[in-house]
This record gives sequence, C-alpha cells and structure tokens, in this order.
Amino acid sequence: MRANPPLAVALVVLAVVFAGFSVFYFTTKTSLLAGDAAIHYKHAIVFAVLAVLALVAANFARRGTASD
Amino acid sequence: MLGAGLILFLAALQGATELFPVSSLGHAVVVPPLLHINFNESDPSFVPVLTVLHLGTAGALLILYWREWVAIVRGFVRAALRGRITDPDERLAMMLVVGTIPTAVVGFFFLTPLTSLFGHPRASAAFLIVNAGILLAAEGFRRRDERAHAVRTPGDVRHASGDPSYAGVEGLSLRAALVVGACQIAALFPGISRSGVTMAAGLMAGLRHQEAARFAFLLATPIILAAGLVEVPQLGPRGPGAGLAVGAAALAGVAAYLSARFLLRYLRFGRLDPFAYYCAALGAAGLILLR
Repeated sequence: MRANPPLAVALVVLAVVFAGFSVFYFTTKTSLLAGDAAIHYKHAIVFAVLAVLALVAANFARRGTASD
Repeated sequence: MLGAGLILFLAALQGATELFPVSSLGHAVVVPPLLHINFNESDPSFVPVLTVLHLGTAGALLILYWREWVAIVRGFVRAALRGRITDPDERLAMMLVVGTIPTAVVGFFFLTPLTSLFGHPRASAAFLIVNAGILLAAEGFRRRDERAHAVRTPGDVRHASGDPSYAGVEGLSLRAALVVGACQIAALFPGISRSGVTMAAGLMAGLRHQEAARFAFLLATPIILAAGLVEVPQLGPRGPGAGLAVGAAALAGVAAYLSARFLLRYLRFGRLDPFAYYCAALGAAGLILLR
C-alpha cells in the first residue's frame, strides 16, 4: 500500500469519533447500542480500542507500507 | 444454579472440544440432554460458567504459544509506532489484528440476540450439521486443488507435511487474514466451530493444514480471552464459587492444551474429515432424539 494522506486524515477523524463515543459511554447513562439505560463500561472500552486501532491504521496510511 | 459435578463435566467437555473443529458451545448445548443430564441452558448461571471455562481455554492457548505471543505483542507495538511492517512478527501481529476486529465488533454488538439460541438444542444440532458441511467442503476444495497441483498422497487420505505447494501463516496476505478472521463470525451460532471455520477458511486461502490450525488458535486466543474477561464482572452470585471456578477453568485449560497438542500433531498428515463426520453424526442424533 502506498502512502495515502487523505485516507490517513479520514482514519484520524474516525479515531476522534470513536474516542468521542468512548467518552460518551464512560460518562453518560444511555441505551444507545446497548440493552438498558446505564453507564456501559464495556462499550466505552471497545470504542477506546477502536480509536487506538484507527490511529494505528492512520499511521500506516500516512507512511505507506510495502506489504499488501 | 448448576451443580459442581455438572460444572466439572462441562469443563472437561468444553476444554476437550473448544479447539477441535467441532464446536464446544454446540456440545455444551446438545450433549447433556442427549446423555439425559438435565439442566436448563437458559439458567442464568450457564453463561457465567461458560465464561470461566473460556478463560481456562484462553490460558491454555497463551501457554501453548507464549513465546509467539510475546513476539506478536512486541511486533504490534513496533509496527504501530513505525507505521510500517518490516519483519514476520510484525506482519503476524497485524494479520491477527485485522482478522480479529470484524468478529470482535460483531460479537460484541450482536451476541445477545444470538444467545437466545443457546437454549435450543435442536438449533445447535442443526448448526453442527452445517459445521460438518463446512469442513467437508474445505477438504473437498483442498483435495481438488491438490489434484490440480499434482500433489499425490497415498490413497488420497494423508496430505504431505510441509508441502511447498501451500503456505505457512506468514505467507498469508493481510486481505486473506481479514477474510479468514471474519469467518469466526459464523461461530457466534452455537454448533458452528470457531476453529473449524477458520481452519476451513485457512485451507481455502492456501495454508497447510497444520498452519491453518496454528492461525486458527492464534486468532481464537484474543476473542476467547476477551469474551471471558468482559463477562467476569457479571459473574457475581450467579456464577460458581471461587474454588469451583478455578478448578473448572484449570480442568478446561488442561483438556484444551492436550487437545490442541494432539490436533497440531494429527494435522501434520491428517485431514478434517473425521471431525466433519463426527459433527454430522452428533447433529443428526440431536435432531432425531431431542425435542
């Protein structure tokens, strides 16, 4: 994969969105994508992990990689 | 609440079947009623018990591949920071990440609706037959491919160990790793084997049998571990006592370790067909005998 700055930017935006969801689930009682209205720590952790992975992917897209 | 004897029985059953391509969850749902062991799969303590057993299995996998996991974690950190893959460990780490994400996300958000199927042994029995079809289809595909490559093995029963026509895990593309990993989604249905579908997909992606099993085990580890860990806080009073939980997890772990070692040795020359026939027979028995 060659370096793809627009994709990197999109992935950073996605990471920010995921991070926002993570904060939301950590701090707000909600039933969004969850069973009941409560603070959903598992959802928060999952979105935090997705945010980190999106940043990793953005780093790959920014620099490009020889494989695949 | 499930009794201690039943929990230990489930531990041995789950540990022995989790890594074989025969669906441990399907067994946990179908086998007890076939043996007239009466308990309610919808019992609130059933899933917490399975959670504990999964932790034991994940522990066995971590012990089996602990050197690889150390290298994989280091490889992931290096590649993530550098934004470039430069060695096989980093490549394997990224393959596992891309292969795990689809199942982790789908499993996390859709597992609850699927758990309603846990209490239906006949549904699991039907999925066991589907699982058999998947394994047979993959082996059929491989046999045809071997013939096309003019790979001749005695009686077409045993394949060649280390066959250069097929790849090791490190030879897999990231795209293929994504597809193989995504196949684990099918294993959210009780009766479809996680290791079975990933081994089948690995074979179709061109992996050698033993390497398909190795990749299946590596892919399964984070999923099984995460599935266990996220449920731990919910064990509470519905789960087994601490001593029983540790004993059951250890029993499941030992059984899983031994079955993984056996399978890796067997697949140097063996195929998945016997597991397919077994699943088909168990599924058929379940459909006929269970109401």
